[in-house]
Amino acid sequence: MNSRLTLWWSRLAAMTVKELLQLFRDGFLMFAIVFLFTADIYMTRNVRLELNHATVVVHDADHSAASRELIYRFRPPYFQLGGEIQDSREGQALLDQGQALAVLDIPPYFQRDLQSGRPTDVQVLVDTSNTVLGTLAASYSGQIIGRYGFEAALARMGASEASLDTVPMIQDQHRVWYNPNQNDAWFIPISELLTVITVMAIMLPAAAAVREKERGTIEQLLVSPLTPALILLPKVISMTLVILAGTAISLFLVLVPVFGVPIKGSLPLFFAVTTLYTVATSGLGLYIATLSRNLAQAAMLAIFILMPMVFLSGAWTPPEAMPAGLREAMYLSPLYYFIEMGYGILLKGAGLDVLWDSLLGLTLLGVGIFGFGVRRFRRQFG
Amino acid sequence: MGEAAPLTPAPAVRVQGFGKRYRRQAAVAGVDLEVRRGEIYGLIGPDGAGKSSLMKAVAGVLAFEEGSIEMFGIRIDSEAAAERVKGRLGFMPQGLGLNLYPELSVEENIDFFARLRGVPAAEIAARKAKLLAMTRLDRFTGRPMKHLSGGMKQKLGLVCTLIHEPELIVLDEPTTGVDPVSRRDFWAILAELLREKGITALISTAYMDEAERFHRLSLMHGGRVLASGEPDAIRARTPGSVVELEAEPQVEALDRIQASLAQAESVGPRLRVFVDDAAPEAAVGTVAGLLKGLSLRDLHATTPDLEDAFVALLRRQRLVEERVVAKPRAGDGDPPGDDVAILAKDLTRDFDGFRAVDRASFTVHQGDIFGLVGANGAGKTTLIKMLTGILPPSDGEGRVAGADMHFAAQAIKARIGYTSQAFSLYQDLSVLENLRLYARIYGVARHAAGERIEQVAELTGLTGRERQLAGRLPLGIRQRLALACALVHRPRILFLDEPTSGVDPIGRRRFWDILVHLARVEQVAILITTHYMSEAEHCDRLALMHAGRIVADDPPAALKQALREEAGELLEVATDRPLAAMALLEQAGFAGVALFGRHIHLFARDAHTATREIQTILAGRGIGLASVTPRPPSLEDVFVYRITALEQGEQRL
Repeated sequence: MNSRLTLWWSRLAAMTVKELLQLFRDGFLMFAIVFLFTADIYMTRNVRLELNHATVVVHDADHSAASRELIYRFRPPYFQLGGEIQDSREGQALLDQGQALAVLDIPPYFQRDLQSGRPTDVQVLVDTSNTVLGTLAASYSGQIIGRYGFEAALARMGASEASLDTVPMIQDQHRVWYNPNQNDAWFIPISELLTVITVMAIMLPAAAAVREKERGTIEQLLVSPLTPALILLPKVISMTLVILAGTAISLFLVLVPVFGVPIKGSLPLFFAVTTLYTVATSGLGLYIATLSRNLAQAAMLAIFILMPMVFLSGAWTPPEAMPAGLREAMYLSPLYYFIEMGYGILLKGAGLDVLWDSLLGLTLLGVGIFGFGVRRFRRQFG
Repeated sequence: MGEAAPLTPAPAVRVQGFGKRYRRQAAVAGVDLEVRRGEIYGLIGPDGAGKSSLMKAVAGVLAFEEGSIEMFGIRIDSEAAAERVKGRLGFMPQGLGLNLYPELSVEENIDFFARLRGVPAAEIAARKAKLLAMTRLDRFTGRPMKHLSGGMKQKLGLVCTLIHEPELIVLDEPTTGVDPVSRRDFWAILAELLREKGITALISTAYMDEAERFHRLSLMHGGRVLASGEPDAIRARTPGSVVELEAEPQVEALDRIQASLAQAESVGPRLRVFVDDAAPEAAVGTVAGLLKGLSLRDLHATTPDLEDAFVALLRRQRLVEERVVAKPRAGDGDPPGDDVAILAKDLTRDFDGFRAVDRASFTVHQGDIFGLVGANGAGKTTLIKMLTGILPPSDGEGRVAGADMHFAAQAIKARIGYTSQAFSLYQDLSVLENLRLYARIYGVARHAAGERIEQVAELTGLTGRERQLAGRLPLGIRQRLALACALVHRPRILFLDEPTSGVDPIGRRRFWDILVHLARVEQVAILITTHYMSEAEHCDRLALMHAGRIVADDPPAALKQALREEAGELLEVATDRPLAAMALLEQAGFAGVALFGRHIHLFARDAHTATREIQTILAGRGIGLASVTPRPPSLEDVFVYRITALEQGEQRL
């Protein structure tokens, strides 16, 4: 019995080493892995989900001190002035062409009305085809105009700016936790890393298995005394090792030094969760391998599975923004749990006491997915 | 018409100084050849000889660097020039049905190519009907191409190539991977086309035994033409005789001969020796002199075939790799224990109501080379899957290496060696890494593995190449690596599934040297499947499969003897107008009439009466008869005769 176990381990080790050797000699795949774990994540450096010098053009029909004062409150870093236009139709055209995000329209007699206490309207046209940026622009410009109006009203009542503090009003004292600078320079690269891990966890085992089919080597293995488990486990093990190495490189060479991501929680826990996630997801890769005859088909199928998985994960759209049906469907995306735990460990310093439910969810789902992939694989190659 | 040979101003194809490079490597260099109108011209050579590059260039689908190609007197040096001759040309690329659309039906495929080639709509129906009838595909017009057998795909490919009535057809390895019956069928259709339409054909093949089908041919090797001309003229380039004999003990006899004569091999129970520059009697004398003291039987001289000439040409031009003769080593030859290696009794396998293998029974002993031949779909693959423990049989019994197929599939797997069709090695691993991997998969103890790997590397002539990547090895050596991997755990039984496709004759001979050594010296039982009938000659026993059943199981000599008793003598008729003669002889009711280049083959019960009959028939039409000679039937003749008889029997039912 003992010698049988030794033989089993020896075969497992030989096959795992073989998988790694093959992977290291595949120049294209190696390039893809290194690129995705480093350069691809590094490139998200300049991607922001906040207003960054959004262009505002102005139609100023008043040309007064008051209108100038208002206009110059649209300042960097959020806004930049894109110049003045002669009529509002021109503004419409600029919005249509996407050359401006917002048009500020100040009516004639703006200053006179403001000073005489008559109500006056300022129009802001906002392009909200990108909802996030559009909503931010609308909200920020609303704040700017509201504050200006408030100050103008105070001034008319003879109060100075300094006496503002004495006006009774609610002070909104919100505190931003976990990411105090509301730095989405953290959010995006972590999302990207977790997505890259997902892509790799599906694609690498699928590629390794499909390559054996394409070249006919699987036949040779099936005639050998290897059991299906000894054919598929080495693929999962070797590819998981590669993904863990890639994750470490990405974390310590890109996320921490370039983005300054704080690692608040336990690193061993993070890597343990990543291992669990990778093995679970590789079940999908094995399933894909049973369905496809060549690498191109495998890649198409992988995209087919990846898209909904990422969409339902909360990586780009938070659960709070999902409609009722899809919000429940998110529990079926393993990436959802991984993202919960990834953010939790890296940014919040959360431990198992907090994340146990996500871990349980991922484990249950993972056992299901991996078991399914293995069963399909064994049925085809058993 | 081909045989009338009118004086035409320009040949169909003239190639001069042709050369093609891929990156910096020359694939073909310095090729000259001329294809006359109305002839079937052959390009023969192993994979990588440069045949495909040359054919693609002639077909105008490959740019080349050196030399010139003229077609019907028009020099193909630009896109425009290629465009001008395209309508007169049909090209079928390599690979079974690769130019066809799998999802389209037979008819839709033909219609597509007809429209692509601008065939007038009024003519499509008539041409299609004629070609479909000729290829006997007319019963399958609605069947999607992907559900056709290999031979039928090839015929459909031919129909699609011919639908625009080209004057020249270029066919790249049309018979590779096709079983002998379909292959012969294919040649018959081609002969008929030649007879009716007078088209010219340039055809490549890796099968040396197809040489007789061509009027003229070029032998290619390593990107160069070794020799061109009629088959007889090429054979005349390497004067010498072939001596065949049976000797006991065979291994010692072969060793003695190989010590002084380079071109000797064992073919089943016989030895076959090429003696340079010797007349038949002298050659027999030479061989007998080398084998003094051994018991010899049936020692006689025969005429060399084209493969003999090819090997001799390579040898004379010093293009042959050093021969590593596998020497028996102490401890290698395990005593034959259980004498029966494979025992199959009524093995049956059903797939959803379809019986893939039907009550197959046979026995293979240790030290036997057992061949399994049959068309694609005859059940060979399923049978091998059952024997190797991948697929449980639905019914019947089988023992392989002493293990029962029903209960001990895993034990079978551990005790056998197997190489699949594609020499499926890890191409991105080195020779040594491949060997080590298989040593560990098969559980060869670590301390023993190093020595064993060295042993198999030496046996298969891989010593010195251990660090090379498998993917960079030439095909013939890659095949030996696959064999080495299968041998690393000292299996008592070896399964080889079409192991020699595309390998050059020299590589094939070396491969067989090793197999013979394994069988004769180490008493390994070898089960091999092949489409090469010349290779089947090497087997001690040959099982013929048809529709899931084993329809014959005998030594090759016995199979040939049975053919003689059933069908009669094989006669070769040489005339000055073979096409016309062939039609007359078919009408006269001769069996198995087939065209081989300028000669006709047929079966006759009695050679003398048949000869007289043939003389009368041909003289009546003023056709000159050069000779009628009896020929020993080949295994291909056996195969085609048996399978055709069975198929006709099935149709009658």
